[in-house]
Amino acid sequence: MLNDRGFAFDPTSGETFQLSTTGLRIVRLLQQGTGHERILEHVIAEFEVEPNTASRDLADFLLSVKQVGWISE
Amino acid sequence: MNPPRLILSGLHRGENPQPGAGLIKSIRAQFPGAFIIGLVYDAMESGIYMVDGPDQVYAMPYPTSGAQAYFQRLDEILALSPADIFIPTLDAEIELLVHLEEEIARRGLRCVLPDKLMLQRRSKANLNELASLCDVAVPDTQPIYDLSGAYVVSRGLEFPLMVKGQYYDAKKVHTEGELAEAVSKLAAEWGAPVILQNCVAGPEFNALGLGDGKGGIVGLCCIRKTILSDKGKGLGGITINDQRLVGVCERLVRELKWNGPFEVEVILDEKRGQYFLIEINPRFPAWVDFPSQCGANFAGALVRRLLDGFWPASLQTCPAGHFYLRHQIEVHGHVNQIAELAGTYA
Repeated sequence: MLNDRGFAFDPTSGETFQLSTTGLRIVRLLQQGTGHERILEHVIAEFEVEPNTASRDLADFLLSVKQVGWISE
Repeated sequence: MNPPRLILSGLHRGENPQPGAGLIKSIRAQFPGAFIIGLVYDAMESGIYMVDGPDQVYAMPYPTSGAQAYFQRLDEILALSPADIFIPTLDAEIELLVHLEEEIARRGLRCVLPDKLMLQRRSKANLNELASLCDVAVPDTQPIYDLSGAYVVSRGLEFPLMVKGQYYDAKKVHTEGELAEAVSKLAAEWGAPVILQNCVAGPEFNALGLGDGKGGIVGLCCIRKTILSDKGKGLGGITINDQRLVGVCERLVRELKWNGPFEVEVILDEKRGQYFLIEINPRFPAWVDFPSQCGANFAGALVRRLLDGFWPASLQTCPAGHFYLRHQIEVHGHVNQIAELAGTYA
């Protein structure tokens, strides 16, 4: 479960999460099947982040969502 | 059909809450006309004074007083307030009563209890063996009978260790000095053996269920504990849907052919993605009324079983995402109520 305020609940683990605006946007893009490179372009354009920083932060975020089992790769 | 007349125990809420008050709430939800008799060991058990609490309360001798004293008092109570259903809720009561089902039945009381073998096999002292048969991970768990045994066993384990009373209470210890103190205290309070257990770090989960006595499960509600008290009690929990935990419970109940209520306590080792069995309680937990509020009335199902002679159809699954928070408020009483209970056993 993920709502438009970035509140997420994992029914398997019982954990709750509060995503940032950027995190919520990334998860929504992942849900739409958007590729990682395209997501990076969205983040740079929409949140005015320097590309190297955006790339590093996106990698960290994807690792986190993988660890909680939201994505498999 | 006449409304059921029930006897149950475990009315204390507070820091270390018992299931009786939750049972009363669940039973009244399904059987509004039920007449409920509370057995208490102390006039300060807060559930005595709750709104919509027991209709009648009687003081009992502690189960450690022995079966003769226990049944003698039960006979006196039944002469005053007849009943046909008995739900013991405390570990020490269940230990006393497991091999006395005929004595209970002779008094016209219907009761669901595990047998003595089931009870022994799920005891903390035998947890390693049971877990191995069920392909369930368990932290290294060793029973010890005296302090010198504790020192020997602790050298084969790793500090910090959990030290547990055979029925209740647990302490985390970091040194041999703390170990000695905890073993002495828990042995004095709950008798031997005291249990030494390796610590597993991770979130804690509980599952409440009813075993049908043939290896099947009538209902199961799995929660993640979201708030823990200093003593590790779940002050909050949220329902989850994890088939791995369901599988753990199914394998344990199938192996034990568990009969009646149970609570499985596990910790999730998140690095390994594996549940570790911590203990199996042979009774309802204090949070028994929470699933009733999500549509799965475990206490009601037990009463139905005792009235009909067979288990009802499987209980509805509690959907993931329902949470409880333990909410303490003050109950009101008058000293006259204490006086009524005083001088017997409470």
